[in-house]
Order: sequence, then structure tokens, then C-alpha cells
Amino acid sequence: MALRKKSRPDLHDGHAVSRSTSTSFDQLYRDHVDVMYRFAYRLCGETEAAKDLVQETFLSAYRAYDRFRGDAQISTWLYAIASHACQRMRRKRKGEPERELSLTEFVPTSGGEFSLQVPMEGLSPQEALENKELRQILDRAIAKLPRKYRMVLVLRDMEGLSAKEVGGILGLNERAIKSRLHRARLFVRRELSGKGLAGEFHSDVTTGHR
Amino acid sequence: MADRVRTHPGTRKPTLHLGHGKRHCVKVLERLSAYLDDELSGDVCREIRAHLGDCPNCEVFLDSLRQTDQLCRNRPSPALSKNDRASLRRQILKAAATT
Repeated sequence: MALRKKSRPDLHDGHAVSRSTSTSFDQLYRDHVDVMYRFAYRLCGETEAAKDLVQETFLSAYRAYDRFRGDAQISTWLYAIASHACQRMRRKRKGEPERELSLTEFVPTSGGEFSLQVPMEGLSPQEALENKELRQILDRAIAKLPRKYRMVLVLRDMEGLSAKEVGGILGLNERAIKSRLHRARLFVRRELSGKGLAGEFHSDVTTGHR
Repeated sequence: MADRVRTHPGTRKPTLHLGHGKRHCVKVLERLSAYLDDELSGDVCREIRAHLGDCPNCEVFLDSLRQTDQLCRNRPSPALSKNDRASLRRQILKAAATT
């Protein structure tokens, strides 16, 4: 949905600021809150932080609505606001230090590092993900990614946006997006391999107990 | 890591020259996401496929990267409850009205 009105959306419940547009805040919220919450949860990895991010995103969207040019999809615009809000919130919390991922660190050095050490044999990805422990291992791997790589992995592989769209959201060219995406995938892959799970994974995982 | 790609005189597209050995495996590893995402030229794809056929470790590694990608793409995410949706909306409206 591309909104082309330049005035702010109405705020209902007695908090109306402008009624010059037919597009209401309620509509914006109703149409996009579920997608934004899913995105926020994937970025934050837990419920309360995801709710904070959704709140910050829609508040920022309301305040910045005058500047929305209407030449992008509104969902892309909201993704960009949420991405920037996430970066602001992490800076405030003095989150994990960012580090660069080098391709050379992902070159396997022993046999157990080439394949995944999680139960997927003969299962579709959906069936494999019914295993709670596998979901936890995957979530932990994604959460361990340095933020700028996690952002690209979530937007591109989990939210299904194109490299061009992700580039527009993060202010990077497609080449940089693809480079970060490749490193992010290699990082998560390593976490699910013998190297990432060495001495850590539970016997239930390999036997497929749920 | 810089791409190690050679261009042959008279050909427009760069071509990877992949034989066997760790050096070649690293070259393949550098391009596996682009390979999975079908972003490489036919020539480069053919060379990578030839290397994969000759190198079981790289073949297994590619499978594991593909599986990782499929797990990420299919990871379900919890939905917002109706109560949380309404509660968040109220908080946003309140904050918008007071700032």
C-alpha cells in the first residue's frame, strides 16, 4: 500500500492532531503492526524488547509522517524506521560491541564442521523446526550475530525482502548487503555445525526428541 | 576478502578457475550464497558445480549452508496477542499526544 498523503494520520481516542487525511493512524497500525512485531521479534529475540521496538516504530512513524514521500511502499518505510529505532535503542543500552566478520574465519578446519549437527535428515525445514531445541539453537545463533549482520539476515532471508530493498532500508548498496548476508549465513551455519555446537548440544537434539 | 577472478581476453564475463585443493575450496566458499541465490553467470556456476562434483567436503558444506538458509526462512515467529495489540496501540496514542 503506498500512502501518498503528506499530512499526519489521525490519532483517534481524543488525541486527534490532524484530520486532513483519510488515512488514519488506526489503519496504518492495523495493516502493519503484525508484520512489524514479527520483524521486531526476529531482531530482538524476545517479547518485551520487541514490543518496545514496535511502540517506538509507530511513534516515530507518526511523527515522521509529514516527511513520508509516498514513493516507497509504506511497509518498506516502516522497516526502515524500525531498523533505525533498533539501532538507537541498542546504543542506549550499550549493547554488544560490533565486530566485523571475516570470510576466513568460516573455513572449516575439521571434519565435523562441514555439516550441520542438528536433526534434519529426511525432514522438511518446517518439520525440523517443530523440534523446540533446534529452534532454540537457531535463535541463539541468530542472536549471537553482530547486529549489522543480523539486520541483513532478518530482512533478506526471514522477511523476504530483495537485496535492493534491504539496501534502501539500511542505506547501503546491494554489494554490501550481499556481502553481509553471506557472512551472516556462514556464521549461523557454523553455529549449527560441529564447531558451533561442540560440547553444547543436548542428546535429545540428535535423537530428534521433541 | 577480494574476489580472485580472472578475465580471459576476448570474453566479457569473469571466469573462476577452480581445480581442487584448499585454495580452490576457499574460492568456492566465497561465492556460495551468490550460487544459492542464482546470482552468478552460467560459466561461473558450471565451474563451481565441477568443483563440487570433485570435492565432497564442499558439497557437504553447500548442503549445510542451504539447510541453514531454509531453517532461517521457515523459522516461525510468535504473533502479537489481541490484548497486546490493543495495549500497544493505547500506549502509542498516549505517547503521541503528550510529546
